[in-house]
Amino acid sequence: MKINQSINMSTRFRVLSEDQIEEIFFAALEVLERTGGVIYHEEALELFKNSNAVVRDKKVRIPASMVEEALNFYPRKITLKGRNGKRSLQLQKDTVGFGTGSDLPFTYDRKTGERRRTLYNDVRNAGKLVDALPNYDFFMSHGIVGDAPNTQTYDRHQFLAMLEQCTKPMVVTSVDGEGLEDLWRMGCVLQGGEEEFRLNPLFVAYIEPISPLKNDRTAVEKLLFAAEKKIPAMYTPCPSSGATAPATMAGMLVQSLAETLLAVVLCHLKNPGMPLIMGGVTTVLDMKKSTYSYGAPELSLASAANTDISKWLNLIMFSTGGCTDSKVLDEQAAAEQMMNLFYAYLSGANLIHDVGYIDHGTNASLESLVMNEEMMGMVRAFGKGINTDDEHMALDLIEKQGPGGEYVTTDHTFEHWQEWYRPTLQDRSDYETWKNNGSKTMIDRVNERTQHLLDTYEADPIKDDQWKELKKIVDDADKRHA
Amino acid sequence: MSFDLGKISETLVTGKVDDLKTLTGQALETDIKPGDILNQGLLPGMDTVSQRWKAGDMFMPEVLRCAKAMGGAMEVLRPHLSESELGNAGTIVIGTVAGDLHDIGKDLAAMMFEGAGYNVINIGIDQPNEAFVKAVKEHKPNVLGMSALLTTTMPRMGEVINSLKEAGIRDQVAVILGGAPVTEEFAKEIGADLYAPNAGSAVEITKEYLESKV
Ligand code: B12
Repeated sequence: MKINQSINMSTRFRVLSEDQIEEIFFAALEVLERTGGVIYHEEALELFKNSNAVVRDKKVRIPASMVEEALNFYPRKITLKGRNGKRSLQLQKDTVGFGTGSDLPFTYDRKTGERRRTLYNDVRNAGKLVDALPNYDFFMSHGIVGDAPNTQTYDRHQFLAMLEQCTKPMVVTSVDGEGLEDLWRMGCVLQGGEEEFRLNPLFVAYIEPISPLKNDRTAVEKLLFAAEKKIPAMYTPCPSSGATAPATMAGMLVQSLAETLLAVVLCHLKNPGMPLIMGGVTTVLDMKKSTYSYGAPELSLASAANTDISKWLNLIMFSTGGCTDSKVLDEQAAAEQMMNLFYAYLSGANLIHDVGYIDHGTNASLESLVMNEEMMGMVRAFGKGINTDDEHMALDLIEKQGPGGEYVTTDHTFEHWQEWYRPTLQDRSDYETWKNNGSKTMIDRVNERTQHLLDTYEADPIKDDQWKELKKIVDDADKRHA
Repeated sequence: MSFDLGKISETLVTGKVDDLKTLTGQALETDIKPGDILNQGLLPGMDTVSQRWKAGDMFMPEVLRCAKAMGGAMEVLRPHLSESELGNAGTIVIGTVAGDLHDIGKDLAAMMFEGAGYNVINIGIDQPNEAFVKAVKEHKPNVLGMSALLTTTMPRMGEVINSLKEAGIRDQVAVILGGAPVTEEFAKEIGADLYAPNAGSAVEITKEYLESKV
């Protein structure tokens, strides 16, 4: 045994130094004291009025001490449990989970190849793939249920579609506070009641401020409901650098941190100890095409930096990866998705969402979900780092096989090659074999695998009585909004 | 005193706000007609800008800077122009529909129209159907722009169009739609006149349409 050793059990990556993080944190505190944020919600304004914050009309300015105090109250660990009863997703520092994004308006129809509106069945199918593919840890709807009977209750229908074929934990979007309440009641049906849901949450609620520094009524309504019931929730800024945030990465990080910290204080005032999660889709507005970019390298850079900040603050982090601006699943898609997947993983964000997004967050693609499965596998294999214990240094083996020896038949190889990544979609065959197998491209293989999974995979069904209860909640909502 | 109006065009294209204001003021002190400063100085400059933007040689911050310079110059020039010389490209009322809080896209479109010389009335986000109808009645624009970024709020656009019909003012305005989930097909379906996939093309699509109607 040796002393004074330090061993990397995984790769290590960070963007910001501790001093830089502190600078950004202090700057965000300064923003809250000097600039403040506006809130369009009466109860929230009341909560701030009854605190040390300064409220002028709808604008709230918050002293640093309130932020520092509130930050002490958030859990550093949340464990999500799927409807199958498995506590499968540990959210804590440097554990990484991958999942899809939500609500994409369009889908390429697999039969016609035409772009059309996303429907209930598309969401259900996305759930099926996420359930079947092991590298996905959680599910967001991928697409929006465009054929829901009522736009005011589409979130409940969407949740049903998500639950049908997917047993993994989820992140859910909702129409408003009432919508979130229904989703939570549905979650309680599946987890066995309100108390069980609190210990074993089925989902995290997705909520967003409006950059710069604005908080609208419905978002705050959801946030306060989540705080009241202690439902895990994220308040995830979506600034576009150069349009709704400074054009510098540091400036964007400062502003979005201020937006997050406002929610940190608000939730604390409402109900201390609610499981709040930090988030952010921090990217640039493309200045030529005027689109919000999901494939820019700045997205990866700013997101990884944001994760550094979250760890320093002891907050769980919701980040972004596996997404692209490309209109189709092509070379651009592969390059962009791989890049932002890779850095999001290395940064150690806890929930990495938007995996599979194409067309800058407007188009759904089941094939993209399947292709990303391979990329997530590769990224995870890289993150394992290098083991340097005696067995892995293999000194005896090198001596035994000697100069000109071979390793293919050794026990050591038999045992350790299993640690390698084994591709399922990448083609590493020789030219003739590839040709004789039909000269298939990656996209061909992805298509086949997608179809195969859709045809053959079935998730564990929801129990009949539970399904009835869920349906009743949805039907009641439809009646209320008829 | 001779004054080179080309200099005004050039300065506009470089987006130098203060320089352009100064130059415009200097031009006004000569015997050049205010209308010529507009038509032979500023507008050719804006034309160059929009051509370069279309060709992909200019980026949004540059274009918007030019539009800002144009706005500044117009402040100086406007009091000297007659109604007819003003030759406004038109008036557009623009807003995001009820229940929808997305504003960047709508604002960019508004800025593009402004840069093209439109009188822009931006009524903001989350605007109830009646607010659109009211603004059309009040400002009598020749264009109404609506933005929706959510599948769930798109239906509001059709409702506004219907309300315009009911109020008997549908024919007074060209209705143009925008926003990521909106499509040309949808725009046709609900009886809008125009659809623009991005802010850059919106002005031109509108111009072509208005010219074809004359
Ligand atoms: C930034 C953003 C937000 C910000 C908006 C901040 C702001 N100040 O605007 C915030 C965080 C607030 C937000 C909130 C929500 N969002 Co949002 N958002 C986006 C995002 C990522 C980018 C939008 C953007 O700014 N694009 C850049 C601008 C420049 O582009 P644009 O808006 O499309 O506009 C261009 C053209 O469309 C056109 N245009 C636009 N309007 C007009 C109008 C006229 C007249 C003309 C001529 C042209 C025109 O010109 C513009 C420039 O070229 C999009 C994804 C996407 N790629 O669209 C999702 C997206 C639109 N949001 C979405 C959702 C679901 C939501 C929420 C419902 C989430 C939730 N559950 O809480 C809330 C809804 C809040 C509400 N009630 O409105 C979905 C919509 C899905 C759907 N099927 O409806 C999208 C597609 C993302 C996704 N896949 O989930 N969002």
